[in-house]
Amino acid sequence: MTSRVLFRAAAMLLITIWTAFAAGPLFWVGVISLRSTSEFMNSPYALPEAWRFDKYVTAWTSSGYDVYFVNSLIVVLSAVAIVTVVGAMAAHCLARYRFPGNRAVYFLIFSTIVLPPQITIIALFQTLANIGLYDTRIGLILVYAAVQLPLTVYILESFFARIPADLFDAARIDGYSEWATFWKVAFPVAMPAIATVVILNTILLWNEFLYAVVLIVDDAKRTLPLGIQKFMGDQLEDYGMIATGLMIAIIPVVLIYAFFSEKLIQGMTAGAVK
Amino acid sequence: MTAIDAMAAPMPAVAEERPVWAAVVPFLLPAAVFYLGLTAYPVVRTIWNSFHHVLPAGDDFVGMANYAELWADDTFWRAVRNTLTWALAAPLLEVGIAMLLALALYAKVPGARFLRIAWFTPVLMSYVVVGIIWAWIYNYDWGAVNVLLRTIGLDEWTRPWLGTTDTALPALILVTTWMWTGFNMVVLLAALHSLPSEVMEASELDRCGWGSKLWHVIVPLVRPTILNLLVLSFVGKMKIFDLVWIATKGGPLWSTETVSTYTYKRAFEWSTFDLGYPSAIATVWFVIVMAGVGVLTWALRQRQKLEY
Amino acid sequence: MATVTLRGIGKRYPASAARGSRDAPPAVRDVNLDVADGEFFVLLGPSGCGKSTTLRMIAGLESITEGELAIGGRRMNEVPARDRDIAMVFQSYALYPHMSVYDNMAFGLRRRNMAKAEIDRRVEDAAGILGLGPYLSRRPHALSGGQRQRVAVGRAIVRDPEVFLFDEPLSNLDAALRASTRQELTRLHRRLGTTMIYVTHDQVEAMTMAGRICIMDHGRVAQVGAPLEVYHRPATTFVAGFLGSPPMNLLPAQVADGALVLGDARLSLPFAARPGPVTLGIRPEDITIAGEAALRGEVVAVEPLGAETILALRLPGIDRDVLVRGGRNATARLGDRLGLHADPGALHLFDAASGQRLEPGSGME
Repeated sequence: MTSRVLFRAAAMLLITIWTAFAAGPLFWVGVISLRSTSEFMNSPYALPEAWRFDKYVTAWTSSGYDVYFVNSLIVVLSAVAIVTVVGAMAAHCLARYRFPGNRAVYFLIFSTIVLPPQITIIALFQTLANIGLYDTRIGLILVYAAVQLPLTVYILESFFARIPADLFDAARIDGYSEWATFWKVAFPVAMPAIATVVILNTILLWNEFLYAVVLIVDDAKRTLPLGIQKFMGDQLEDYGMIATGLMIAIIPVVLIYAFFSEKLIQGMTAGAVK
Repeated sequence: MTAIDAMAAPMPAVAEERPVWAAVVPFLLPAAVFYLGLTAYPVVRTIWNSFHHVLPAGDDFVGMANYAELWADDTFWRAVRNTLTWALAAPLLEVGIAMLLALALYAKVPGARFLRIAWFTPVLMSYVVVGIIWAWIYNYDWGAVNVLLRTIGLDEWTRPWLGTTDTALPALILVTTWMWTGFNMVVLLAALHSLPSEVMEASELDRCGWGSKLWHVIVPLVRPTILNLLVLSFVGKMKIFDLVWIATKGGPLWSTETVSTYTYKRAFEWSTFDLGYPSAIATVWFVIVMAGVGVLTWALRQRQKLEY
Repeated sequence: MATVTLRGIGKRYPASAARGSRDAPPAVRDVNLDVADGEFFVLLGPSGCGKSTTLRMIAGLESITEGELAIGGRRMNEVPARDRDIAMVFQSYALYPHMSVYDNMAFGLRRRNMAKAEIDRRVEDAAGILGLGPYLSRRPHALSGGQRQRVAVGRAIVRDPEVFLFDEPLSNLDAALRASTRQELTRLHRRLGTTMIYVTHDQVEAMTMAGRICIMDHGRVAQVGAPLEVYHRPATTFVAGFLGSPPMNLLPAQVADGALVLGDARLSLPFAARPGPVTLGIRPEDITIAGEAALRGEVVAVEPLGAETILALRLPGIDRDVLVRGGRNATARLGDRLGLHADPGALHLFDAASGQRLEPGSGME
C-alpha cells in the first residue's frame, strides 16, 4: 500500500513541476506584455501594476505589427488554401485510382517530409530570383504550399483511402464525372481530415521562419516571425514592447488551439501512434 | 461476394477502366508542378551548385573543390558535432520525460484532460518566439534560472547560460526538450490508452511492481510508438535552425553552430556571394540525414510511417 | 423498361494485373443471358463466383473484355454508366454521408438538369412508397439500417430507370427485417413492373423473389431457370448441392447390370443409364423412413428443429452421411438402424466426372 501512496505522491509532484515548467514561460511573457519596460526592469517577476492593454494598440499601430500581421495572414491563408486543394486532389488520386507508379509517387512525396530544408532553400532563392518572385509574397506563398504539400498529401491520402469505393460507383451511376465526384462527394466526405490539415498547416506556416528569412527582405512584406526578429534587433532593450509583439504572434495560435485542440492534436500526432 | 470478403477486399472503383489516365493526370498535375518545380528541381539544382562556384557573375565548374574544402573546414565539423549531439540527446530526453509524464497522467490524475492540453502548448509556438523567451530566461541579470539559483543560495552557479561555451548547447537542448516533451507525451498517452485494458489488469493480478510493470509490460507494448517518436525527434533536430538563429546565432565561438545555421551563414551572411560551397554543405547534410533516417528505420525494424 | 441481353460476356485480367489479384474481382467467362422486359432476374452463387462482376459489367462500373451487352436492344459495351439508364442499389447502400435523405435521392436527378418541381415530385413519390416521408431532412447516420436500405432503393426509384440492379441489398439487415424487406421488394417490382437484376448469395432470397434464377459457379453460368425448375431439375452437382437446406445428398454410385449400386445396396434405376460411375442425388425430403428397405443405415446425428428433424445416417460402404428430413414427430435416436426408401422418380443422376445431369436417353450412346 505504501508504495502505491508513494507512487501517487511522486506522480503529483512531477505533474506540478512540469506544469509550472511548461506553462510558466508563456504566462510570464503574457504578464510582461501588459507591463512597461521600466516596470519590468524594476521587478521582472511582478504582476502588472496597471493592465496596460494600450501597449497592444501601440505595437499594432506604431511598431509595424499591423503590417506583419496582415502579411502573415495573407501569406498563410493563401498558402493553406492552395496546399489544401492541390494536396486533396493528389491524395484523392493516389487513394482511389490504381495506375502504374502510384506507390512510387506516394513514397517520393512521403519521403520528402524528412528532407532537410537546406537542400532546397539555396536553389529556391536562386530560382525565385530568376523568375522575379524573390522578395514577393506570391513567391513565399508558392514555396509554403510546396513545403507543406507532402504532409498534407500524407494525412489526406490515408483518410481518402478509407472512403468506400461504392460511394464513387454510386456517384458514377448518378451521372457525375470523376472531377464532379471529387468536389461533390470525396471532398465534402473528407471534411474532418481537411479541417485537420487546414488547422495544422495554418499553425506550422504561421510560425515558419527559415524560408521567410531567406526569401523576404523588404520590411513591408515581412511576416510576423520576421517582424519580431527585426523589432528585437532594433529595440533590443525594450523588453515590454517585444513581449507585446510576441503575444500578438502567439494569440491567434492559442485561439485556434482553444477552439480546435482535439483536431490539432489529432493532426500533429497522426501517424505517430501505431 | 459476401459481406465479409467485400470488406476484406475492397474493389478498386475504376480498377481496369481504360480512361484512368484521363482522370489521374488532372488530379495529379498541380501537385506534380509544385513538387517538381519547388522541391525536386531545387534539390537537383543544389547538388549541381555544389560542383560549382556560384557567383552573381556566373558559375564556374570546380569539380570536387567545394567538398575538399568542406573536408578541411573545422567550423563545419564543429556544426556537425553540435547537431548530432542535439539530434541524439534530445530524442532520449523528450521521449524519456514524456513517458514518465504520460504514466503520471495515465494513473487517472484529476484534471488529466486539462494538463494534456496545457503541456501540449509549447509546441504551438514558433521557434522565434521560443528563442526570445528563453534568451530572457537565461539572462544573466534577471533571467529566471539565475534568479532561482540566487534565491536558493547557489550564487556561484549563476552564469550567462547562453554566453558560455560549455553551457550554451545544453541550454538550447533543454529548450527543445521543453518545447517537444508535451507533444511526445500526448502521443504516448494516446498509445497507452489504446492498450488493451486486460493486459494492464493481468499485470495487476501478477503483483508486478510499478517498475517491472513499466519495463516488462508497458514499454514493450508501446515500443513502436516510442521508436517512431525517437525518429521524428531525431529528424526535427537534424534540421534545427530558427531557435539557434534567434537565441545565439551559433555563438559563442561556434558552440551552438548547427549545420543549418552554418549553411545559412555561408550562403547569405558571409560576403563571399558564393552559393556553391553552402550547396555542398547542404548536399552532404542531405545525404547524412537521409542515411540516418534510413539506418534508424532499418535498425528499428519499423516499416511504419514517420510523421512530421 | 427494357430487356437485357448478354452474349458471350467475359471479364479477363491482363497478366500485369496479377500483382493486385487479391482485390481483383473474379473473372467471368462466356455468360449468355436473356433477361426479359419486366422480369425479376436473380444472379445466385457463392462468393467469388463472378455474379457481382457480371452485375457491375451490366452497370458499366467494370469494363467488358469479351462479348456483347445490350439493354433494350442497344449495344452498351462502350456506353458509360451514366448513359445506360440503369439504377443500382449497393450492398453497403453507398449513401452520401454528407447529404440529407432528400439530397441523396435528388443528387442523380440534379445532374440531369431536371426542374426543381419535378425533382420534388419524384422524391416525394418515392418517399411515399417507401415510408421515408418523415426522414427526408435527416442525414444517413441518423437512420436505422432498414431506413438506410430504403433510401438506397429510393435513390434508384426516383431515377425511373429502364433496369434496376441490386447487389446483395439485404445482406446488411438482420434476419427479421430481411424477410419483410424481401416481400416489400417483390411488391415494389409488381408495382413498378421494371426489369430488375438482383445479385445474392442467399438461396432463400433467390427462391422467393425471382422470376428466374441464374446460378453461377467459377465465373460461368451453371443453370438458368425458374426457381422450382432449378430446384427440381438441377443441371449440375454444383447446383444440386448449392440449392436446398439441408442440401441434396450427393453420393458416389455405380450403374451396373441395369441397377444402381450404392454401397452395399442395389436400387432400381430411374431410367436406363450407361454403366459406369455416377453421382446419385437425393433430396433429404425425398427420402422416407421405411421399416423394410434396400437401404439401411445407422443414425449418427439428430437435429430437432421443431418443425422437422434432420437425421444423418451412415450407410454401409458409403463414406459420407446421408441426410434425411424426418417429420416433426420423428422419434429416431442415435444408434438406431433405419430403413430408407426413395422413389425412383426422385433420384437424380449426374455424370461422375463432369457433374452434368444425366437425363433419360442422354447417357446412352
